[in-house]
Amino acid sequence: MIGYLLFAVTFGLLLLGIHRKAIARIQRRPGPPVWQEILHMLKFSFKSTWIPATASDTLFVGVVLVAIGIWSAALFVLLAGGSILIIFGIYMLHKIVEHGFGLSSGSPYGKFGGVRSVISAASEIPLFVSVAVVALYTQSLDISSIIQYQNVHGPLLFIVPLAAVAMYLVILSKMPFGPFSIVESKELVSGYKTEHFGVWRAGLQVSNGLKTYVLLFLFITVFMGGIPLWWTLAGMVVLTLSLSFVCALSPMLSPFDSVTVQMVITGIMVVYAAVLGVFA
Amino acid sequence: MGMDNPGGIPYFILEFGDELVYFSPYTVSLFILALVFTLFAVIAKPERQVDIVFGGDAFYAKETSLAELKFRRFMAIACGFASMGAMVTGDLFNFTLFISLVGICNVGIVAAVKNRHVQNAAYQYGIVALSATVPLFGAAALIAATTGTLSMVELWSNASLAVPLVVKALLVLGVMGEGMAPFYAAKAEMFRAPGAPYVIMCSLSSLLIFLRVIEVVLVI
Repeated sequence: MIGYLLFAVTFGLLLLGIHRKAIARIQRRPGPPVWQEILHMLKFSFKSTWIPATASDTLFVGVVLVAIGIWSAALFVLLAGGSILIIFGIYMLHKIVEHGFGLSSGSPYGKFGGVRSVISAASEIPLFVSVAVVALYTQSLDISSIIQYQNVHGPLLFIVPLAAVAMYLVILSKMPFGPFSIVESKELVSGYKTEHFGVWRAGLQVSNGLKTYVLLFLFITVFMGGIPLWWTLAGMVVLTLSLSFVCALSPMLSPFDSVTVQMVITGIMVVYAAVLGVFA
Repeated sequence: MGMDNPGGIPYFILEFGDELVYFSPYTVSLFILALVFTLFAVIAKPERQVDIVFGGDAFYAKETSLAELKFRRFMAIACGFASMGAMVTGDLFNFTLFISLVGICNVGIVAAVKNRHVQNAAYQYGIVALSATVPLFGAAALIAATTGTLSMVELWSNASLAVPLVVKALLVLGVMGEGMAPFYAAKAEMFRAPGAPYVIMCSLSSLLIFLRVIEVVLVI
């Protein structure tokens, strides 16, 4: 399990590196090498580290461990074929982690990043709609049962495509440099993670790698079924590249517009789920 | 009857008639998170929020007085305990009680700050939380009236006990009202108060009860 965890972190960071490289090439810039995020993680691990004088010390450090802990748990649930509801819960709790990162330092930049994270909670609702629609068809929330359902009926991607779109948008809202990345926008320096440097930032990089791996793996598993690992990894790269295109070609929205667009998407998805619930 | 065990197969159920506590993979995960953040509230010192002095380059760090710290810490810990209770209870009446306690504690965490703007935000939140108790407890009463039980295990294992959809909607409405604190994050007034680790408990508890009510609505 430790070996797989390390692999997931490394591959997740590699996907984030591919994301940065693809965005740069689309925008006709050379961009960093694809392993840049891995190098960042290693570099931060050995940088000098301390806790700011204005920080809530225990929370400042503890929230980094919580971030790594929740995504490690999500990976375990995913591999064990457990309930998708737990992963949904962990995904939502990531908001609190971002909020904790932002508020713990005392810095106004971090604070605004954390506040933006909380006010954009509407972006999580499409995930719930996606989960609800999948449960409606498969009559289960266990990932192993969802895979079995697809073995019999074919990929859910073709059965409930809009649910896949909803989950795609959820992943998009979590990708850096995207239209909904208001928590890390440049006017806030680095948003909620501004004051976390050195080994704390390395921990954050680890959790980001895990988060990316888990979310993309979950998408492939829930909508394509139990395909071999190599195909799953290839699918994750393709998915990342498609997200990069969206991020490279769309401007970052203002916080107000970002929340409004997310709420409109949420409304559409709720209506879609309600219609399916009535006619399914 | 809803879907079977959406939060996974329970590890352990402690029964006292209808009063029961159960630990499934889902409820345990949420319980542990509430416990961890409650420990943070116990141990952590409050942040010293940095504010900018308008009209110059100066900035200053806000201090939290000892009296304020003690009260907010007490409220945050009480909120943590209420959240933990709401995560593992298998009894709908206890669930609504814990939810209302979370709402009260959230108001307390914010209202302890001696700042007019922050107290205004707390007052508005208090009114919403107060109003939300009507659909919240009303839903529990209606479930007891229509099914004759408040046990979640009984409700999901007995196919003949169907909870009307409107009652589920009332329950969700009540929880939304009690756990509205995160939406107040959009109000600048609330963030004039030094936040960590106490305001985090508002957000965490609200999110946890939202996550739990999803499971409750699916199982009953």
